[in-house]
Amino acid sequence: MNTIGIIANPASGKDIRRLVSHATVVDNNEKVNIVKRIILAAQGAGVEKVYIMPDTFIIGYKVVEELTTSKELQIPVEILNMKIDGSVRDTIRATEIMEEKSIRCIVVLGGDGTSRAVAKSITCTPLISVSTGTNNVYPEMIEGTVVGMAAAAISTHMCDMDETCTRDKRIEIYKDGNLVDIALVDCVISKQTYIGSRAIWKSADIQKVVVSRAHPASIGFSSIVGVKLLVKPEDDYGASINVNSGENELMAPIAAGTMEAVRVSEPIKHKLGELFSLEMPYNGIIALDGEREIPFKKNQIFQFKITRDGPYRVNIRKTLESAQEKGFFIR
Amino acid sequence: MELTKGKIVDMYRTMKLIRDFEANASRLFAEGKIPGFVHLYIGEEAIATGVCAGLNDDDYITSTHRGHGHIIAKGGDIKYMMAELYGKATGYCKGKGGSMHIADANKGILGANGIVGAGHNIAVGAGLSAKYRGTDQVCVCFFGDGSTNQGTFHEAMNLASIWKLPVIFVCENNLYGISMHQSKHQAIQDVADRAVAYNVPGVIVDGNDVFAVYEAATEAVVRARAGQGPTLIECKTYRHQGHFEGDPAIYKSSDEVSEWMAKDPIPRMVSYLLDSDILTEKEIEGIDEEISKELEEAIKFAEESPLPSLESIVEDIYTDIVEEVR
Repeated sequence: MNTIGIIANPASGKDIRRLVSHATVVDNNEKVNIVKRIILAAQGAGVEKVYIMPDTFIIGYKVVEELTTSKELQIPVEILNMKIDGSVRDTIRATEIMEEKSIRCIVVLGGDGTSRAVAKSITCTPLISVSTGTNNVYPEMIEGTVVGMAAAAISTHMCDMDETCTRDKRIEIYKDGNLVDIALVDCVISKQTYIGSRAIWKSADIQKVVVSRAHPASIGFSSIVGVKLLVKPEDDYGASINVNSGENELMAPIAAGTMEAVRVSEPIKHKLGELFSLEMPYNGIIALDGEREIPFKKNQIFQFKITRDGPYRVNIRKTLESAQEKGFFIR
Repeated sequence: MELTKGKIVDMYRTMKLIRDFEANASRLFAEGKIPGFVHLYIGEEAIATGVCAGLNDDDYITSTHRGHGHIIAKGGDIKYMMAELYGKATGYCKGKGGSMHIADANKGILGANGIVGAGHNIAVGAGLSAKYRGTDQVCVCFFGDGSTNQGTFHEAMNLASIWKLPVIFVCENNLYGISMHQSKHQAIQDVADRAVAYNVPGVIVDGNDVFAVYEAATEAVVRARAGQGPTLIECKTYRHQGHFEGDPAIYKSSDEVSEWMAKDPIPRMVSYLLDSDILTEKEIEGIDEEISKELEEAIKFAEESPLPSLESIVEDIYTDIVEEVR
């Protein structure tokens, strides 16, 4: 059966960065609208069933109710039968269930943090990541209708998967030989000692940034590498850079609307699979994809490894181009 | 704003003082020693503490019917608070206001308030006053999710925004307006979503994490003092008790209660203090004992204080300077 799954994070796009920078606001009723557009486009393009993660704003139920009332919904939509607690665990669990059901394409709505949560449990299902978050390095700002068409093309196998889907990189963080967490874009070593509002925005607190990808157009701390060294998703390496030390002074877009001068060292490239260690110079926290996650104490040692074990990501434009060549749009 | 060890310890002390004050209020109410109604702040201590930790003494706050925590965090004296709960003449309102009307103008506490949503516009007035007088004072307006359906909320947000007033709107979203779950009375889940309609930054924080609250509040205060106008901070939290003492809260599911009890802000803070080597268990016990003694003294003060005199019933009704109402 041609199926797709949708995970929409009701908590994305509302953190403190609306206050400390000029980050985008995406309210939850707009997320409902985006999901509606995805489903209608997917339905029109051949998807036969949609699965949706339950959430605290009941986005899925609102979509079903509104599209049923308007008589636009013609395919079954199933809200996953799972207990939720309004945390990142919901996203991780929903991804697992969708993989168990062999859903052909998962669409995730959220910020970098939401995609990172999906990446913790996704294995081989093609992923479309739609931005409803803040800095949005990993997810794309893209119209729901386009997303629905691309998901349908994947689900109906009406595109060349080898051309349209690529395995992304990820950063693995180890302590005492054990994998403790992952990041899709960046790890930031910060002097902050508490998780607090989770987001990270003060460059003065930063000691080091490790990236799997970096570009000047990627807002956030990965851009500190990106303004000096491009690290593309397809490159078989990542990089790290020391911040607040070194000879170079750069301007980087560390948050939405925030260009900041930072002093940095020369960036170091890290090949895929290379394990490198960091001894922590103070008590602090490792932020993953923009969110404070792993507290550490002075002199603790962590290892980092960049691999190509990230999600199997859909290139939306290539997918639609491939689908068009295969006659996907001909009725 | 950098958090020193001393400031973090003060935050713990404030949170624990609020918790223990409320636990005692609950006990004393059940024993029939406190008349009227009490609405307890248990479970929400991190909000008042985190917000007020970033305020100056001369900054203002407006409070709600669930106001004990706000008043303690802003520096209110628990002796006079407890006396007011007892209805004694030594209380903040000379024993005539009770739990829901405690105010202390000297500390910038513009009053708890028995009317849902009545604090919004008082806060805007205080913000306008500060701006008019050219001070750098700010006013924090504490309120619940239910009150954001009131016209006062929307009027206040609009005026504060258009006049760029130094007001920080702090929504304590504890999921319930009295006994009605938020999902039954609002078409939104996040009150912060309403901010965009008034061109005000709206952010959500974990209201059970004192550091998350502190970070957002201090950034909002900086913004307000700089003349950039108001901010709406929505703190997601949960009240452990019913709406008022005596409410059995049968409308809450056991799963929901269990989920939120696991997020109790006080044990979270204790874990942080221990894990970060800021305090030892013995030092925490020492603080807790000091708080117990302080509360015992406050209760003793309240119990030994006199009731208001009969003639005081006609005092403090009209201000003396308004000739028309003499």
